[in-house]
Amino acid sequence: MSTAILLLLIVGLIIRITYFMVYQSEYYSKKAVELHQRERSIKAKRGRILDRNGVVLADNITVCTVSVIHSQIKDPKTVIRVLSEELQLSTEFIKKRVEKVSSIEKIKSNISKQVGDRIREYELEGVKVDEDYKRYYPYGELASKVLGFTGGDNQGIIGLEVKYDEQLQGEPGVILTFTDAKGVEIKNKEEERKEPVAGNDLVTTLDYNIQSYATQIAKQVMETKQATRVSILVMDPGSGEILTMVDVPEFDLNSPFQVPDSLVFTNEEEKQKLLNGIWRNGCINDTYEPGSIFKIITAAAALEEGIVSPSHRFFCPGYIMVEDRRIRCHKYGGHGSVDFTEGIQGSCNPVFISLGLQLGIDKYYEYFQKFKLTEKTGIDLPGEAGTIMHKKENMGPVELATVAFGQSFQITPIQMAATAAALINGGNKVTPHLALKSLQQEGQDAKNYAFAVTKQLVSEETSATLRQLLEKVVDGGTGSNGYVEGYRIGGKTATSQTLPRNSGNYIASFLGFWPAENPKILALAIVHNPKGVYYGGQVAAPIVRQLFENILPYLEGM
Amino acid sequence: MRSNGGKVRKLNTVKKEVQFFDYSLLFVVLFLVGFGLIMVYSASSYDASTSKSFNYDAAYFLKKQARAALMGGVGMIVMAFIPYGFWERFAIAGYLISMVLIVLVLTPLGIEANGARRWLNLGISVQPAEIAKLAMILFLASMICKMGRQIGTGRGFLTTLAIPVPICVMVWWITNNLSSAIIIFGIAVLMLFVASPKYKVFFILGGLLVTGVLLGVLFLKGMDPSQLEGADFRSARIMAWLNPEDYASDTAFQTLQSLYAIGSGGLFGKGIGQSMQKLGYLPEVQNDMIFAMICEELGIFGGICVILLFVLLIWRCMVIASNASDLFGALLVVGVLGHIAIQVILNIAVVTNTIPNTGISLPFISYGGSSIMFLMVEMGLVLSVGRGIRLRDHG
Repeated sequence: MSTAILLLLIVGLIIRITYFMVYQSEYYSKKAVELHQRERSIKAKRGRILDRNGVVLADNITVCTVSVIHSQIKDPKTVIRVLSEELQLSTEFIKKRVEKVSSIEKIKSNISKQVGDRIREYELEGVKVDEDYKRYYPYGELASKVLGFTGGDNQGIIGLEVKYDEQLQGEPGVILTFTDAKGVEIKNKEEERKEPVAGNDLVTTLDYNIQSYATQIAKQVMETKQATRVSILVMDPGSGEILTMVDVPEFDLNSPFQVPDSLVFTNEEEKQKLLNGIWRNGCINDTYEPGSIFKIITAAAALEEGIVSPSHRFFCPGYIMVEDRRIRCHKYGGHGSVDFTEGIQGSCNPVFISLGLQLGIDKYYEYFQKFKLTEKTGIDLPGEAGTIMHKKENMGPVELATVAFGQSFQITPIQMAATAAALINGGNKVTPHLALKSLQQEGQDAKNYAFAVTKQLVSEETSATLRQLLEKVVDGGTGSNGYVEGYRIGGKTATSQTLPRNSGNYIASFLGFWPAENPKILALAIVHNPKGVYYGGQVAAPIVRQLFENILPYLEGM
Repeated sequence: MRSNGGKVRKLNTVKKEVQFFDYSLLFVVLFLVGFGLIMVYSASSYDASTSKSFNYDAAYFLKKQARAALMGGVGMIVMAFIPYGFWERFAIAGYLISMVLIVLVLTPLGIEANGARRWLNLGISVQPAEIAKLAMILFLASMICKMGRQIGTGRGFLTTLAIPVPICVMVWWITNNLSSAIIIFGIAVLMLFVASPKYKVFFILGGLLVTGVLLGVLFLKGMDPSQLEGADFRSARIMAWLNPEDYASDTAFQTLQSLYAIGSGGLFGKGIGQSMQKLGYLPEVQNDMIFAMICEELGIFGGICVILLFVLLIWRCMVIASNASDLFGALLVVGVLGHIAIQVILNIAVVTNTIPNTGISLPFISYGGSSIMFLMVEMGLVLSVGRGIRLRDHG
């Protein structure tokens, strides 16, 4: 009897076990695997950023992170000694981490692969050396504000790194590892991997040679003129491709969070503010009063309207009365009787004021909008600033007069360059841009970027006339310092007083292009707050000349 | 024996009787102990090798268990060759001594581990509850023999049931070890069941017990879980047993982990040493939960083989019990058999969540020095009873 009961119970248990191990096996196995597996993501290799000729401007290097796993350490003394020697950290610092009871404790990251490999060779139990990619910018400061940099999570923070983040990033992979209950990985247990997909390389329109040369000149001028900031833009006016964008002072992309010693801050918020200032790209994030370079726009509108021709005559007594206001020409005593060509050569304010007034507020505003000056250029960089312009209903003749020679409103340097490019390239407004194409790591399937073009802001004829006039500015006008022997250069100078007007601070600028008859290259140099001589023709035009002297032979050869 | 021929017959005519020794039972016991050592090593080596408190010694648990098994083995052989009748005179003394030892747990001699005070430091650490089990078997066997026919009366029945109660209550309350108390009482019931002619009473009592348990479970099941808040940990365990996945983070954690281990074993398991659940996921894996790990590593095949080994062991005990030369010997074997059978069944029932979780180890296999030592001594007693069997030559 008791035998039967015992047997019954045992058979019952065998059935119970069979139920779990056969019918419920799949369910519990799945649950168990979920419990035992940990997901670890593998960083995807970030796409590089190249210049138009393949020079690598943003690269990746392998760095290592050293951590200790408390429960696996067998010989704490040796671990502490080796790590403090190799990583040059104090023994107390490492001891504290080695002795801390935690599943994994990070000792140091971003160490070079060499040091990482050396530590690996000791084969210390409980010491883990993980490899990782780190962004590396071979030229440090070069085009820092354009390229931008990434944060620790492989995410772009400013510049092209953030604008093209998605395609630079790639797709992170996953390792599924088995761990014990404390989260320690089990060795020799097969792991599942999903390989990461590397990000695509970004080929930019930048030209390393021009960019570095322009940076050099800008730095030089900033020093000799004790300026606060010097910006140089070089673009192809026909396509909108930007070959160079310099805005010194630049910063070191390899340590973007470092604030120069000259700047002081007391808390994190202040530090961040300072950093934001350091990272600011003056070419696109800030606006300025364009001054006389803007006369190109007034001239284009007037030519297009047919109210002026190069031989049209004006008289400049040294001032012009607009309503009850007397607006002075920069030339004391005036230019006297001049034709339009001479007016633009001498950058005569009364000439352009009278053209503006002749056009009238409605027409002038129409052209301002037609030239897309009220919109952003659409450049492929984050944070482009908009135009600060009078509302049409608030504009009177005085406002119109000042706008006509480039004062009392603000645009970005890139907007100035892009609009001038449109007016001299035959009348087509192109989108200034930096992305040329995207390359997959294997070098196949290049994706070319396309940007919007607005055709015929002005007629071909107007554009041609404008080019001739601007060539005259360099050839015997205020822009003669922009002249390069043997080359036909067009250009326009500007000297604008910054607000407040009595501060004595000026912005000197020069816009030049080559060849004057069919522009292939356009450069805009802006010097903020130069000491001493502050005229655009004296300060900025030589920058473009020096640049052109060096790059035109190089560009001709290409 | 008939085919043994003339020589045996001649010998038999001289001695009339042949000494019997149950080698198959000995083999099963040794096999279980050996297998147990391997599984204890498999279950404990990872934890021991990564834990400072075990000196990072993978064999820490194995060594301790092997030492206990060796001592148990010596005890078993010694017991096997001492005629079991010798022990009858110690029946009352054993009963009293085991009581004293339980009380001693409260003195500084007691050792606390895992939050319970269950061990005594007598040179080696010993669980008085394990001694009490052996003492109870001895005492009841002697008692029932002395009662003779009185066992059939109501008074004899009740007396026999009352005898283990003081010990059970002490084990339960003093050492906070309900499972051992249940086992001791279970042993007594089984011995009484075998000795008593009154089957009917057992069926009535058994039926009442089963109905009571079922009603209790149904009652708990119908209750709103919020009413159970603050309920003592035993009712919480019962709730966790009914709905393990709802209590996965606390009360049912161990049970659920056990099911993960069993369920992920499949037909032939992951292979010896390959358990994942033993890597800190399944608490007490080398102890109460070792059967779950055996299922995970050796599959349903291994699990059933282990059960069959116990069936074989119990069957050999039954054979010895029914052929024992006297009632005392038979009752001793029934007691030991009951002890092992109850623990095996309850242990497997717990790891498969068939009954609520209560700490019962798997005989011979689970880690635990006292348990394996006294089990082997008990097996020595069974072997000794087996040696008392007189094989008559019918040739």
